[in-house]
Amino acid sequence: MVEPSAKQTHANGQALREAPPSLESSLRFVEVKRYGKLARYLFWTLTVSGAALLTAYLVPPVWLLELQYVAALALFAVATNLLVGYGGMVSFGQAAYYGLGAYTIALAWLHFKAPFWPCFLLTPLVGAAAAFAVGFIALRTRHLYFALLTLAFAQLFYTIAEQQYDITNGATGIFGIGIPATLMDPQKGFLFVFAVAALALLALWKITTSPFGLTLRAIRENRVRAETLGVNVFRHELLAFVIAGAFSALAGGLFIIHDQAAYPELLDWTKSGEPIFMLVLGGMNSFLGPVLGAFVYQISHELIVQHLKDWQLVLGLVVLLIVLFMPEGIVGLFNRTMWQRWLGKHAAKSPAAQKQPHAPAA
Amino acid sequence: MTSLMRRGLLSACSSLGLGAAVAVSLGVSLLVAATGACAADTVTIGISTTLSGSIAELGRSSLQGIQMAIDRLNANGGLLGKKVVLVSADDGAFPANGANNVRHMILVDKAVALLGPATSAVGTAVETVAGQYRRPVFFHMANDIQITTSNLNPYAFELVPNTVMEPRAIAYYFAERVAPKWNGKKIRLATITPNYSYGRDTVDTFIKTLHELKVNFEVVSQQYPQLGATDYTTYISALLASHPDYVFAAIFGGDLITFTKQAQGFNFEKQVRLIGFYGRLAMKTLGTALPDGAIAWNRAPFWVDGNAEFNEFRRAYHEKFNDWPSAWAITGYSAIQIWAYGVKKAGTFDPDKVAQALAGATVPTIRGNITLRACDHQAEVPEYVGVVSNQIDPRYGQPIWAETVAIPASKTMLTCEEARKLQSSHR
Amino acid sequence: MSLNSALIELLSAMTTAGGLFIIAAGLTLVFGAMRIANIAHGSFYMYGAFLVSTLVSTFGSTAFWVSLVAAPLAVAALGFAMEVLVLRRVYDKDHLTQLLATYAMFLIFADLALRFWGAQSRAVAAPAILSGSIQVGGASFPVYNLFVVVVAALVGLGLWALLRFTLLGWRIVAAVEDPEMLAAKGTNVRMLYTVVFTLGAFLAGLGGAVIAPLQSIDTGLDASIIVAAFIVVVIGGLGSVAGAALGALIVGLFEALGILWTPAWAPAFIYLAMIVVLQVRPSGIFGVAETPW
Repeated sequence: MVEPSAKQTHANGQALREAPPSLESSLRFVEVKRYGKLARYLFWTLTVSGAALLTAYLVPPVWLLELQYVAALALFAVATNLLVGYGGMVSFGQAAYYGLGAYTIALAWLHFKAPFWPCFLLTPLVGAAAAFAVGFIALRTRHLYFALLTLAFAQLFYTIAEQQYDITNGATGIFGIGIPATLMDPQKGFLFVFAVAALALLALWKITTSPFGLTLRAIRENRVRAETLGVNVFRHELLAFVIAGAFSALAGGLFIIHDQAAYPELLDWTKSGEPIFMLVLGGMNSFLGPVLGAFVYQISHELIVQHLKDWQLVLGLVVLLIVLFMPEGIVGLFNRTMWQRWLGKHAAKSPAAQKQPHAPAA
Repeated sequence: MTSLMRRGLLSACSSLGLGAAVAVSLGVSLLVAATGACAADTVTIGISTTLSGSIAELGRSSLQGIQMAIDRLNANGGLLGKKVVLVSADDGAFPANGANNVRHMILVDKAVALLGPATSAVGTAVETVAGQYRRPVFFHMANDIQITTSNLNPYAFELVPNTVMEPRAIAYYFAERVAPKWNGKKIRLATITPNYSYGRDTVDTFIKTLHELKVNFEVVSQQYPQLGATDYTTYISALLASHPDYVFAAIFGGDLITFTKQAQGFNFEKQVRLIGFYGRLAMKTLGTALPDGAIAWNRAPFWVDGNAEFNEFRRAYHEKFNDWPSAWAITGYSAIQIWAYGVKKAGTFDPDKVAQALAGATVPTIRGNITLRACDHQAEVPEYVGVVSNQIDPRYGQPIWAETVAIPASKTMLTCEEARKLQSSHR
Repeated sequence: MSLNSALIELLSAMTTAGGLFIIAAGLTLVFGAMRIANIAHGSFYMYGAFLVSTLVSTFGSTAFWVSLVAAPLAVAALGFAMEVLVLRRVYDKDHLTQLLATYAMFLIFADLALRFWGAQSRAVAAPAILSGSIQVGGASFPVYNLFVVVVAALVGLGLWALLRFTLLGWRIVAAVEDPEMLAAKGTNVRMLYTVVFTLGAFLAGLGGAVIAPLQSIDTGLDASIIVAAFIVVVIGGLGSVAGAALGALIVGLFEALGILWTPAWAPAFIYLAMIVVLQVRPSGIFGVAETPW
């Protein structure tokens, strides 16, 4: 099966969907993976842990706190990308679950002085439940209606959090939430947040490369065709929505470790825009793209906000430039420019390239 | 080069990129830390306050008073031989922004002390961060009761009447001077206040105190618009629909001006008497359009002559800014005076020693001698209640109050026992 | 509650609805004819209000009438520029790209407004003729609020006439109902889009200009109005001006009644209304049945 080359576009210009991890290449990836599995796992675990430990002991505490936040945002962005990039469902209300995760811990602490760990473990469940309820209603619509409905739900949650003063402390928010002392330490806190985020990302990776994930991509590519193939589209999309909600809520729980605070603004539509920016910035067609996007977004936010007042202007211009000229985000920069140029030089020499003249764009 | 290898290399590149970015941020932060530690002959005090939106003027005018106090301090040799530098940031009345601003000021600007924000919601957030990082923080605007009770830490000091003292003072005034005119007839009261801690606590305590003082009244309507709501029309018509005699409005700053103006379109004043937070800004802006005869409260009215230091400050402020000092400029000035007193008494900037030096101390300021009660770090200061006049006062070129009464702290403060009880119920 | 109070409540609701209608009408035309959810529509609204405040504070309150026309025209020019420079590049892209493009413009406009007009909020005084109150039943109601209702009615009338009797209007209706046929019939779709978007921006600016004296104007206006505008448009149905009117009325009434009866839940009502309406009529009340987009 020959994949469309990078330049080809559909009639209505599916520019952002040009180079999906194709069905075939992913299957091949999965197949080869079995052989080098142990070695690969060992390599990655060591590299990632090493990087984390190095970061924890070299970076000053101020920036470690910031990196905690980045890790939580990265998880949030990747969870959102499960819906947007892999599933083609533009949800503009993911902050509802992120905020719910944070409020779960906050409210339990505020009203019941509940211990941290059970509440933290509870967050994905709360997110999943809420996502199930919302998805059940919202997934009957599509495209812009779906985006607006998810936005409306996020705003609904925001309004409830802001108005129900007796329960949520309203606009004042809940501050000084008690978390275990070890997590308050910047280094240990960072390592914990990093570990949780890394494991969650691993789980999401498994999901995207599983048959479920591949079916999701098929639905995104051609919904009608998937239906005729016997796929229950609604159920798949709902499950994706629930998974995204669960992991978004977990990210919200990680946020509590960073900030020890929960407030209504965590739930509203402008917060929902952040993971979308991150995944567009980093690249929605790659799994780690949103992670890179989260990092670049948050770090530049911190740097710019301190020195300029024009964060919104910068963000707006960057997003505009990216959607107009760099639809594959920063990762796309790696993909196209560097590699294809390199490939172009060596294409004639490599026998593999000769056998596969239309090598699938990764 | 197959797609699999490309993908693997891509991941490796991403990680390398990540690592590079980390290294860069390391470098940047070291740079920033270096510049922060550079000036060893200055000491920094930080404030996050509201400088945008409808209550921007409050934050702005308080900064003016604070800067005047710092300039005076520096002109007299600084504090412990060091020049005091003020860093300020806008939190837009969002607690999260306030917490982040303050954290940044502590960690990067190396602030040794903090001044409180304009809104109480940000106040509790800032207080929490100040407690975590051990910095004295002086609340000269935000006044929610939580600051000195359930959220209290050893480093926080409340310099204005809190949300128990303030509404109690208004209630006392109301019960003693206003209610008797009704000859025991049931008074219809409606309230409108922004939906956060300050508004809620103020209204709840006002109503509770009226009950305690055996005033014959009933609450006919309660409205809770969002802080910074721009259109009060529907709230006003809802209030009027309940036919109240008095409307207690715990709105302030630009919102109060908007509310008053919009209410006038409904001929509010003919039907209802307002009880509101009418201070310098509202009175200057509304001028003759002020609701004449409205009951008002204020924490530091500039038209009340004080000690010689205050009168001189008032004159100097007016000369410099062509404006009379708002309550916030006055309380801000006194906050610097109090902090400086604490530092001088302790002989160091160490937060624990400064806090110890201040707890229970009596400090001479432009607001008179202020005692900071030891059990809850609450300043024993009066609340001013009175009646608004919409006539331009020739001395000041703007309206002031027709009558101003100072309700002393002794009448309105919680007892230490009550305060301790609330402190232990840490929310 | 007395009859007087009920009347006042109703009039308050109509004021809110009137302002919302003018803004939502512009949004629904853009959304319906061009299939673009323009988040920057809120920015246009805010700019209209700010421009009026600047004009009135510079030239005095007599300039108010002129600024009621000048401000929307200026905003329309801004909309024209945005369409030509930005939107034209994303018509052939997917929905997320288009959404992000308008959101990016929203951010840029917000920042520029902050730079130009500063962070403090402003007020605009209504002209003398429109200040004061009028007796309705036995109660007083601000004259200016009635003025807003009148302007909204005029706008509604004008749009109805446009869509019913003019070539442009027919083309807009056709674009809403069947965009593919429109191009096939030889209409210059590109120019139509430009005109519709400019018209939408004009209406948003007009909405902002008319409501300016009713509230305090600050840089949070864009975000606060856009969600309400989208809800009105979705409830009413994309591309339907009548739908926008109905949606605005529903939202206005919900808000007024909500504040009266259950203040704590009032702000949540409009979201619930949108969710319920979309379940019952997935394309909005007067919306065209959803064509595969």
